[in-house]
Amino acid sequence: MKPVLRFLPFVSLLFFSSCDSLFLYNPNQVTLHNGESNLNARNIAALVSQPPPDTLRFILMGDSQRWYDESEDFVKSANKHRDISFVLHAGDISDFGLSQEFKWVNRILSKLHVPYMTVIGNHDIVANGPDAYRKMFGPMDYSFEYGSHKFIFINTNSREYAFDGTVPDVNWLRKELADNPENKDMIVIAHIPPYDNDFDRNLEKEYGELLGNNPNVHMSLYGHQHSFNDGEYYKDGVRYVVTTSMGARGYLKIKVWKGGQEVERINF
Amino acid sequence: MNVLIFKKMSKYLLLILASLSFAAEAQEGPKAKRWYLPDHMKLQFAGGTGFLSGGPGYNSRNKKLETDFLFGYLPEEFGGDALITITGKTTYSPWRVALKNDYYLAPVSIGMYLSYTFGPQFDSKWPAYYPKGYYWWATAFRPGIYAGGKIARELTMHSRRRGLELYYEIGTYDLMLISYVQNTGFLTPGDILNLAIGLKFAF
Repeated sequence: MKPVLRFLPFVSLLFFSSCDSLFLYNPNQVTLHNGESNLNARNIAALVSQPPPDTLRFILMGDSQRWYDESEDFVKSANKHRDISFVLHAGDISDFGLSQEFKWVNRILSKLHVPYMTVIGNHDIVANGPDAYRKMFGPMDYSFEYGSHKFIFINTNSREYAFDGTVPDVNWLRKELADNPENKDMIVIAHIPPYDNDFDRNLEKEYGELLGNNPNVHMSLYGHQHSFNDGEYYKDGVRYVVTTSMGARGYLKIKVWKGGQEVERINF
Repeated sequence: MNVLIFKKMSKYLLLILASLSFAAEAQEGPKAKRWYLPDHMKLQFAGGTGFLSGGPGYNSRNKKLETDFLFGYLPEEFGGDALITITGKTTYSPWRVALKNDYYLAPVSIGMYLSYTFGPQFDSKWPAYYPKGYYWWATAFRPGIYAGGKIARELTMHSRRRGLELYYEIGTYDLMLISYVQNTGFLTPGDILNLAIGLKFAF
């Protein structure tokens, strides 16, 4: 064999590298394969193509960070509920803010029988996490309507922005809550609850009042605390519901209808 | 991979090869090599240290231990973000098997590296607005380990002994290792391992 031919395998490996995770250029790279971008919008499109039931049932789970084995067990447990329409991930999808972690969690959650939507958590904002989240899942603040409900997702990870007053974006939230011509019940979903130390103290009152003063907001959903919590925290008619982590092997099954809701804790 | 990407890649390759040969020229001359001058240059593809990374390295006296400093670049078109990384790595290759025609084989190499990636989004020390220990790892520094091997040829050019080595390394890094150890049900070794390929030019 001519010496030059010895380098053929090397050259051909280079050739096949662009679309293969065999090669890692940097842990913080954000290289997505087909079907790994804009997941929230895609999953919403899949959801709204189904006719909404009068009574809507869905699952709230969260904090999958570095609990892949447990997250797989969650999917097995969640798939036993044949009456749910979708699953919400309350944030901290990743532990280290790496796109590789987002891909692993997507590999797991795409085994759900129903679409899933996410909200960004503080761990997802580490390093190149914000870039990876935007490319893979979409905007950090977004909303969708389904049946008699509007679901509003907002980034509340204030500490990651040095409590600079920009997060959560209360102006965006005010506009979203005001944009409700059909008077749907609205559910605000975020990672960090407003009464948590990682939420901007200067924005807590405004955020809480936006929810509490709106007659169509009865419930708001969170993660972050790795334990269940449920209560009318500000005594203003809004129920603050927190799900636990995948590590604690628990999630919430939530039933909503016009004007009412029921929350069930499930361990797997 | 399309032709355009291949062309761009050849551009980066040529650039680094040109700097390698320049460094080699600088080594010419009758005087004995000064201690601080590198023993070799490496050019590496992938391996977490950039799309391409390259730089000078030093040998131990018995040539079993190599220590390299790599400057790596990841263009946005391959990484989604343009990233510059500097890396220090040490490779130990205990055995050398002579083959025909000046070729030899180092069947086993093991090594470790520490890389630093530049960027305002990466921290070596977490800012003061985090409580102590809020996050336990530094995002700018990444330690990793690898194992591999190499095939090499000794050449005589301009009456000097030189060597050209082709090496591969299969490796992983701290955050992947801890993810794997805690999730051996979902993750397989293939999920956390990656392949690096490189050339070494010894003066």
